Amino acid sequence: MDTITDVILRFYESAIFVYGLTLILVYALLAILSLVAIRRYLSRTTQKQLDVLAGSPMAPGITILAPAYNEGLTIIANVRSLLTVNYPRFEIVIINDGSTDNTLEQLIQEFDMVAVDFAYNEKIRTQPVRQIFKSRDLAYSNLVVIDKVNGKSKADATNAGINIASFNYFLCTDVDCVLHKDTLLELIKPVLQEGKRRLIAIGATLRIANSSEFDEGVMTRMRPPRKFLPRFQEVEYIRSFVLGKMGWTYLNCVPNVSGGLGLFDKEIAIKSGGYDHSSFGEDMELLTRMCIFCKDNRIDYAVRYIPRTLCWTEGPATLQIFGRQRTRWARGLAQLIKAHFHVFLRPRYGRFGMVVFPYNFFFEVLAPLIELSGIIVYIILAVSGYINWPYAIMLLIFVYTYAVMISTMAILWDQLSFRYYKTVREVLSLCMMPFLEFLFYHPLITIFSLKGYFYFLTGKRSTWGNMQRQGFQKAAAKA
Amino acid sequence: MNTTISDIWQEIRYFYTNAPLAIQIAMVFIVIAVSATVTAYLVILRSRYRSHRRAKQLQKLMPKIDDLLINEILANPDIPQDVHPSKIDIPTMAFEQLPLQKRWARTALTERIIHFRSNVKGNSGALLRNLYLQLDLDKDAARKLKSPRWDHKVRALSEYVSLELPISDVTLLPLANSRNRELRAAARQAYIKLSKNEPFKFFDSVTDPLLPWDQVELFRIITTTEDISIPNFARWITYSSNKSVVSFCLKLVVHYNQIAAVPAIIKLLDNRDHYLRGDAINALGKLRIKEAEDKFAQLYTTQPLFCQVEILKALGRINSGKYVDFLRNEFLHATEFDLRKAAARSIARNSGKAREVLEELLATTSGQDLLILKHCMNPLIKY
Repeated sequence: MDTITDVILRFYESAIFVYGLTLILVYALLAILSLVAIRRYLSRTTQKQLDVLAGSPMAPGITILAPAYNEGLTIIANVRSLLTVNYPRFEIVIINDGSTDNTLEQLIQEFDMVAVDFAYNEKIRTQPVRQIFKSRDLAYSNLVVIDKVNGKSKADATNAGINIASFNYFLCTDVDCVLHKDTLLELIKPVLQEGKRRLIAIGATLRIANSSEFDEGVMTRMRPPRKFLPRFQEVEYIRSFVLGKMGWTYLNCVPNVSGGLGLFDKEIAIKSGGYDHSSFGEDMELLTRMCIFCKDNRIDYAVRYIPRTLCWTEGPATLQIFGRQRTRWARGLAQLIKAHFHVFLRPRYGRFGMVVFPYNFFFEVLAPLIELSGIIVYIILAVSGYINWPYAIMLLIFVYTYAVMISTMAILWDQLSFRYYKTVREVLSLCMMPFLEFLFYHPLITIFSLKGYFYFLTGKRSTWGNMQRQGFQKAAAKA
Repeated sequence: MNTTISDIWQEIRYFYTNAPLAIQIAMVFIVIAVSATVTAYLVILRSRYRSHRRAKQLQKLMPKIDDLLINEILANPDIPQDVHPSKIDIPTMAFEQLPLQKRWARTALTERIIHFRSNVKGNSGALLRNLYLQLDLDKDAARKLKSPRWDHKVRALSEYVSLELPISDVTLLPLANSRNRELRAAARQAYIKLSKNEPFKFFDSVTDPLLPWDQVELFRIITTTEDISIPNFARWITYSSNKSVVSFCLKLVVHYNQIAAVPAIIKLLDNRDHYLRGDAINALGKLRIKEAEDKFAQLYTTQPLFCQVEILKALGRINSGKYVDFLRNEFLHATEFDLRKAAARSIARNSGKAREVLEELLATTSGQDLLILKHCMNPLIKY
């Protein structure tokens, strides 16, 4: 019996060693590649180029899609923020997903909207569209509002928007997100610069808006969040976008374009079936299907990220809302892996099947489970007196210092490329977070992920994001 | 104290020597991670300090530069307005108070000269260029142009273009065929802007595709350069084997309304490439070439969807009234939503006979067909 336990333990140890080592190497690789990708981006992008595109009749049209559900508190400020975008040819489609508050009434009144006879072509099936509104005011001639029956998901609302989008590219965002004025210019530029490949999706860095200042929907002063929970998220976003996504961009292996900000090729998105309204991670799910569609149809595609921050979103400030968000994300990831497991390690799906999907499976989905198993084994071994404490502590210090180093590198890359925060003190307040993340934030993420998996396995019913918004500084006061 | 540190060090060494390989690796990584983290903080602090210092220096310098440029060059009453700029002595002495021995100060001055120059015309622009040359600011650009780094070369080219400084074809043409895409694009723009002989010469030799981004920049350069002799683009539409060059020339033909290029575009309707055909149809529609209508109608059934949509749009733009029944049939019988919508829009924007057809359709159709018509007629709906 002892021998069998020993064998199992040794196997477990070896497996965890290989797993950990691979993860460490992947992070080291991403850190190096992200730096190369960021430098490449910086050397190829100037404000002058963006100005040229802003004045060009050759700029492709883009539709901005922003679903809204009970956003009455901030909807006007949010739409005004979207209207400030600097681009020669775009339209904004606000999808009122059956709000029960006065979201629609406010939009009609503020922007002088009237119902129009709109030829709606349902390329992707959605809940019925009740009415489509256009503004009588020429200043808002590029604004469209769809009023539809609530589809109980952001996906259903966005699909309705895709159905009426006039242009070949659509930008998907949340109505409460604040966009940088150059967002469309920045995101379309890589599409125009792509050589042989078809760029099917492109994203940019998102930040937490909680303590930043906004005026008329425009970000005027960027600050790291004052509260600890959103500040942890800020560091996590920097690590995920600036280091992770940029590293994957270099390899053309971007696993996800955030639902908060992403530009998509409309034709491929429609042919892939649009957003899946039953998914809890609809953004990642759509991109997965788009990649699979391209591979199935021999389309040489690319998915890219740019390191510049173009979007600010309100991060959950309470543990309850944060937990709900992360549980949902974990559940969506588990759903996605189950639904598309047929591409796992299939050479036919190229990098997607051989790198992106296995990475998501091993290092995103399995990570919390492996962590949990590690803690259980650790406790058992500690109780049985099998732990060599000096070695165990040394390994713990190693994991801790390595994690701190990776997060600090992400902050460093960000600081070297863009000098976002005004004072050194603000930067240092961010730099402090990696030291605490391992102890406080990471365990929370693991717990909520496990909860999400549990809900996935038990099929607990859940609806999409009614995140209680606190509004942004100034903007909220005006609203 | 020394003994204690020495003891700790000895203990760590003992621990390391007797530890298994995995622990030894972990210990090495701990040292690397701690060093990297500390270095990262130092780099952040250093870069923040340097950029803060530079920002302060520029904050002081910029108003001085602006004052000098305005008072000594642009609004200087001693500078005669009726004399050719090349014969005017520019008061460069005043600029010697600037710390021009520092590269960052020279860069700042160059940027301001370019900025002011882009906002003035005539003699003032020439005076600013003369000032740039007399202060030897062009030496930095020349050095950058010789740099092995492509981004330095691109910056130098941009400076030359902004100040309209001549560069020899011998220097530019190799760069216009560089393997680096950014450098190639910048050199081509510079060639169009600065070449005195044949600014469009590289169209003949370009073999790689002109990316949409290259086209955006070239289009801007071509359409905003004064005194550029615009050739007949039919030459490349007919003979170029590079599809992107042909496609780009079609856009230029439309922009310059070059009716002389129409026969070459009509020939393109028989091209095997769908996308080129689509571009050609689009160009003929925008040029409102009535002679192309028969060919459109003849081609229509054999075309892919996007070419069919382009044909329907082109018939609407040409607005001759000859193919209103054709549009009506497509609106009523096409199965694709996009075709019906394009046909309806073309009927709605046609005048004359199309008015009668529109009224008839409004009276006889219902359901989605009627909705499409109303959609196309509504002035609030753009697309």
